[in-house]
Amino acid sequence: MTSWPPLLVLFVLTPLVGAVLTPAVSDASGRRSWEWALGTMLLTSAMAGALIMRVLDEGPFSYVVGGWVAPYGIELRFDEFSAFVAVVCLLGLLAVIFSRHYARDALAPGRIPYYYTLLLLNMTGMIGFIVTGDLFNLYVFMEILSLSAYALVAISGEKTAEMAAFKYLVMGAVSSLSILFGVGLLYALTGSLNMADVTGRLAGSAEAPLVLAFAALTLGFMVKSALFPLHIWLPDAHAIAPSPVSAVLSGLVVKVGILGMLRVYQIAYGSGAIDLSGLNLMLTWLGAISIVMGAFFAVFQDDIKMMLAYSTISNIGYIVMGLGLASPYSLIGASVHVFNHALIKATLFLGAGALIHQTGRRTLTGLAGVGRSMPLTTAAVSIGAISIVGIPPTAGFLCKWYIALGAMQAGEPLFAVALVFGALLIFVYYIRMVNAFYFRKPQEAGAPAVHEAPATMLVPVLILAALCLVMGVLGRLPLSFIEPAVTRLLAPLGGG
Amino acid sequence: MKRALTLVLLVALAAVLLNAVADLPPHGSPDTPAYTHVGAYYLENGSEETGSENIVTSIILNYRGFDTNGEVTVIVTALMAVIAVLTGVQDTGTQPDAEVIHVAPSVVVRFIVRVLAPFILVFAVYVILNGHVTPGGGFQGGTMLGALAIALTLVLGERESSRLLPQRSLRVIQVIAPLTFVAVGLAGLFIWGDYLFFPRDEKLRGFAEAMLVLIEAGIGIGGAVVFARVFRLMGGRQ
Repeated sequence: MTSWPPLLVLFVLTPLVGAVLTPAVSDASGRRSWEWALGTMLLTSAMAGALIMRVLDEGPFSYVVGGWVAPYGIELRFDEFSAFVAVVCLLGLLAVIFSRHYARDALAPGRIPYYYTLLLLNMTGMIGFIVTGDLFNLYVFMEILSLSAYALVAISGEKTAEMAAFKYLVMGAVSSLSILFGVGLLYALTGSLNMADVTGRLAGSAEAPLVLAFAALTLGFMVKSALFPLHIWLPDAHAIAPSPVSAVLSGLVVKVGILGMLRVYQIAYGSGAIDLSGLNLMLTWLGAISIVMGAFFAVFQDDIKMMLAYSTISNIGYIVMGLGLASPYSLIGASVHVFNHALIKATLFLGAGALIHQTGRRTLTGLAGVGRSMPLTTAAVSIGAISIVGIPPTAGFLCKWYIALGAMQAGEPLFAVALVFGALLIFVYYIRMVNAFYFRKPQEAGAPAVHEAPATMLVPVLILAALCLVMGVLGRLPLSFIEPAVTRLLAPLGGG
Repeated sequence: MKRALTLVLLVALAAVLLNAVADLPPHGSPDTPAYTHVGAYYLENGSEETGSENIVTSIILNYRGFDTNGEVTVIVTALMAVIAVLTGVQDTGTQPDAEVIHVAPSVVVRFIVRVLAPFILVFAVYVILNGHVTPGGGFQGGTMLGALAIALTLVLGERESSRLLPQRSLRVIQVIAPLTFVAVGLAGLFIWGDYLFFPRDEKLRGFAEAMLVLIEAGIGIGGAVVFARVFRLMGGRQ
């Protein structure tokens, strides 16, 4: 079963069919649409598991849709980087579970089935984006992903949410256009859209359009990832969206830009047609600036979700810096941080969502002393905070360590300093948060007694917090899992 | 100042873009990669391998059918986004001072729409059903059907125009495009072993054609419903 080739295409279609049928199966209370979405995500997750088993067994594999051969048909390809779908499915599943009570309280009843539809479509877009081996197909799935993300930000119906979604839409549309333009240029140069085929045919292309193509792709993907200075859409969109959506956007959707960049690197390095050292230097610098700027702005936030949103910009900085340094260690660290940051940020956003849902407050001042009434949730959020600072033995430590090692390896110790400086700033703002939860007295006397969130919210948060610890202890596993892919990526450069 | 700066930026950007585009393989020349690699293969083998008399169809439904599968999903995603954002919003709620004025459409408009309606309908159905042999197909025909529904909504009253969309099965009809696509694709998978496989055997040509027509019809009807629904939702109706 696991090596049945069409499983790869069914993996993309399952959340798609589940998504479009959600409104048809739902009832007035929204309960049936939740059950349906849950079932869809369980099935999709099982398929993800089978595909990852296969890539562990035999390395990358592909499936060409319609019984054609690549490059004439559309090739789906599953490699080690595609294993990100494991986190996509896990977070999707937990976000759906979390939404059971959350959506009922936060959304108009008529919107609930469409909320699950859009969430599943978002998963479809992400999964398709990650497993496709075709440039235009990548663009198509990116559009499914982006459109559903804009709507999910706006779905609460509040004015601020609609404004944030509109800002996100404008930036997102321009970045999509930039990516499409890059894909078009690559097609004009090679006559092909299949990534592997394009890689093989790029050598000897005229330089100016080639540089423009990679620049356009990078620009587009970096807007999607919210790298400084293209991050301005992110804080509002991620902070104002419903919490499960924030977890999905901050944990997964921004990473799609990073995975897109990894595909760009696969093409550029593999073809040897273009020297990316200038681009890499720029990305390393912008990454370093992102780390510091994101952390700096986060320190001044009183709104807990706003703080988490700025922290995402900071962490994207780590990942992009790792990509830019282009040494084996930094790339391994960056790729694993793509996975781990997803888990950590989801812990934090879902935990914050549970706190906000129970207390009705979203500022650190308002949440003072909440550790006494909601000990489990605050403990989970604290574990997330420790992980994101990168204190061993949590999930955040090893990847940052590897990125720092990579900076040394690339002969750029300065960037390792930026990384540590960023981590210190991050430490400061998460200490503020933990301090507010545990060591400050509740502000108002006579505030309504709060208690832990219902199990559908609490359990996902606890699972994620446990994973932050587990991934810290088993940190070597993902590192050694991703290593062959990084080695393959850097092989054409020689000496890597 | 700001305008001058914008102008300088735009000119600089244009210079970079023009410089790059000037070095692209010459547009329209038969030796460019776009015409000699995959494109040439499609032209040479397309009609033979897919049995489709229309090369464009052979690409969008056969070789690159999975893209089209994704594109119909993009359209449905857009509809889902509009429904999710507009459900429960009152059309007057956002602009308290804007009086809703109901003006009956003029006799001329009503007459013209009534005269044109059957012709638009017939042409739309023709374009959808012939999509696999002639230029056109589900997307184009569906747009016409959608435009027809919008025109009729303008001239009919609320009660009559709401009956243009089948209310009971609407939740299935509005996503019928990706559903038929996946259903036909899965038929290919379970009968012949590949998703979106269309039988290439001469004897089964009729069967393959039926599959293509089914997909085009799904796209056409689904697309029309998307247009009509978005229009109605924006007017504050369900």
